[in-house]
Amino acid sequence: MLARRTATDRSELANEGRRDIGHRRLVRWRETLAVQAFFLPTVLSFVLLVAVPSILTIALSFTNFDGYSFKFQLVGLSNYSALFSDPQITASLYFTILYAVATTLIVTIIAIPVAVIVNIHFFGHKLVRAVFFFTSVPSLLVLALVWTYILSPLGSGVVNYLLYGLFGLGPVQWLSENHLAQLSVIMVGVWAQVGWHSVLYLGYLQSVPSDYYDAALVDGASALRRFFGITVPLLAPAMTVSVVLLMISGLRVYELPLALTQGGPVYSTYTVTQNILLYGVSNGKFGEGSALSAVFLALVIVVLFGTLGVLRYRERRLQ
Amino acid sequence: MTAASVGSIKAAVRVEARSRGPNGRRRRRWAIKLLLSVVMLALAAGAALPFYYIVVNTFKTPEQSAISPLALPSPFTFENYRNVVNSVPLLQSFGNSAYVTVLGVLATVLFGSMAAYAMNMRRTRANRFLRLVLITALAVPFQVTVVPLYEMMVKAGLVNSLSGLVIVYMAGAVFCFFIIDGYMSTIPKELIEAAKIDGAGVSQIYARIMMPLSMPVLATVAIFQTVGIWNDFLVANTFLSSSSKYTIVLQVYSSVGEFTTNWPSFMTLTTISLVPMVVFFLIIQRKIIGGLAAGAVKG
Repeated sequence: MLARRTATDRSELANEGRRDIGHRRLVRWRETLAVQAFFLPTVLSFVLLVAVPSILTIALSFTNFDGYSFKFQLVGLSNYSALFSDPQITASLYFTILYAVATTLIVTIIAIPVAVIVNIHFFGHKLVRAVFFFTSVPSLLVLALVWTYILSPLGSGVVNYLLYGLFGLGPVQWLSENHLAQLSVIMVGVWAQVGWHSVLYLGYLQSVPSDYYDAALVDGASALRRFFGITVPLLAPAMTVSVVLLMISGLRVYELPLALTQGGPVYSTYTVTQNILLYGVSNGKFGEGSALSAVFLALVIVVLFGTLGVLRYRERRLQ
Repeated sequence: MTAASVGSIKAAVRVEARSRGPNGRRRRRWAIKLLLSVVMLALAAGAALPFYYIVVNTFKTPEQSAISPLALPSPFTFENYRNVVNSVPLLQSFGNSAYVTVLGVLATVLFGSMAAYAMNMRRTRANRFLRLVLITALAVPFQVTVVPLYEMMVKAGLVNSLSGLVIVYMAGAVFCFFIIDGYMSTIPKELIEAAKIDGAGVSQIYARIMMPLSMPVLATVAIFQTVGIWNDFLVANTFLSSSSKYTIVLQVYSSVGEFTTNWPSFMTLTTISLVPMVVFFLIIQRKIIGGLAAGAVKG
């Protein structure tokens, strides 16, 4: 080494430089690998728990796989055509979409004014906030089970008890008449979600600089004009988040109708998710279950990107 | 509400007072606030009525409840609590829920934060594409994957096992990744550069710099995951079959049949099952309003 150093000439210097660059490259490559390794757990869980099963579902939807025997054949689109002639499935598609759209609309219409109001410092505003928010903390399944008692026409049914006591109205069959059952499921869904979404809007409202309002107050804008002229446009990004979350959770609804009505009366509150589990897991009709899953996935993706597209467009126009 | 905006509301009131006469406007504001208090407290009472109904009936006999479901209990009875504690394996179910929730939250937040860290260290074109692929996971409902996933879990011998359930919950790592990634991207890159110059390695920068600085969003994500996993019914109901493995939510669901005639006992079980979430809510309550925005605005 020393001998070589003493005999240093230009080419030797260049050589060392090259070795140095090579070394640095190796270090950088190692660092890159180390950083990329941090993706591994998330990517692995994505591949094993989401990607592979989803692809298998789509593949199975073209077969007559029954879950046990591996002697299954390709059956083309017959699982799909079977879906749309099955009243239990068409009913569930209808109700799932009805529930998703109705809860999204009603929750949004209630949550924004509630957020604006609880942002005002009236007496008890913190208590009101806490109470509204609390309804979305417990398990929806447990709450829905409680609501079956509340809506019951029997002794436990507070709603009927109050209707009779206040207006003398006879027991209403909230959960055993088709349209009333659908309405009940939707209303309980709204009750359980509206608090969480008003807190979401409240979070955004509090990050809105109050200069806007000061300026409007000085200009003498009325409360209503301030609401539609300032608050609603400023909440546009919050609305995107909230509406997308509502639509997705609405399409995925499962526990609520299961606990309230078990899907009855006569399919009127069956959901897509309930049918997927019934066909795919309980009844071993994997082909049909998978086909329904694939249709459902397409529905969720279309709704998700459709809603996102519309809301983003609206956001851009408002700002 | 921040101090700044309180100040500006006061300023606005002052401006108004000056321009619209001294007392009339202020008195009207007070009237509006009073009206709001009355209306909103009444609405909140209405929204909370089901909770009052649940709790008040736990202290009544079935006969008392049937006569007047909303009245206060007279006399108070603790029979329902004795009945539920004796007939439902509460400790076991709470233990199962705690086990899957703690492990599930730790795993998803750890995995998600690691991926978010990698994303923020190397926001290359390939990694941005990876992010896009991962986004699709958020659109895929559990029900779409459930049939093959169930088969896979059977083959791996992970069905009807709490640890197997935790593995299924790990799919939530992608959600954590997105929220944390958004927040981490607001941390100044100079901090990372400075640490590199000081000779910190890749994992040191993660553990000593990025994680401590991301605490607010980690808390938000952990809260979401805790509520989500603790309350989960769908996944647990699909993958657990023996009652000794039941989480508390499954336990409540499976006890409905047992208590159909004795619904005050069912309300008692419900009340007991809600206690941990109420305590959790009281702890996080202050955090959540700011946190929800921190996670969502930046995410």
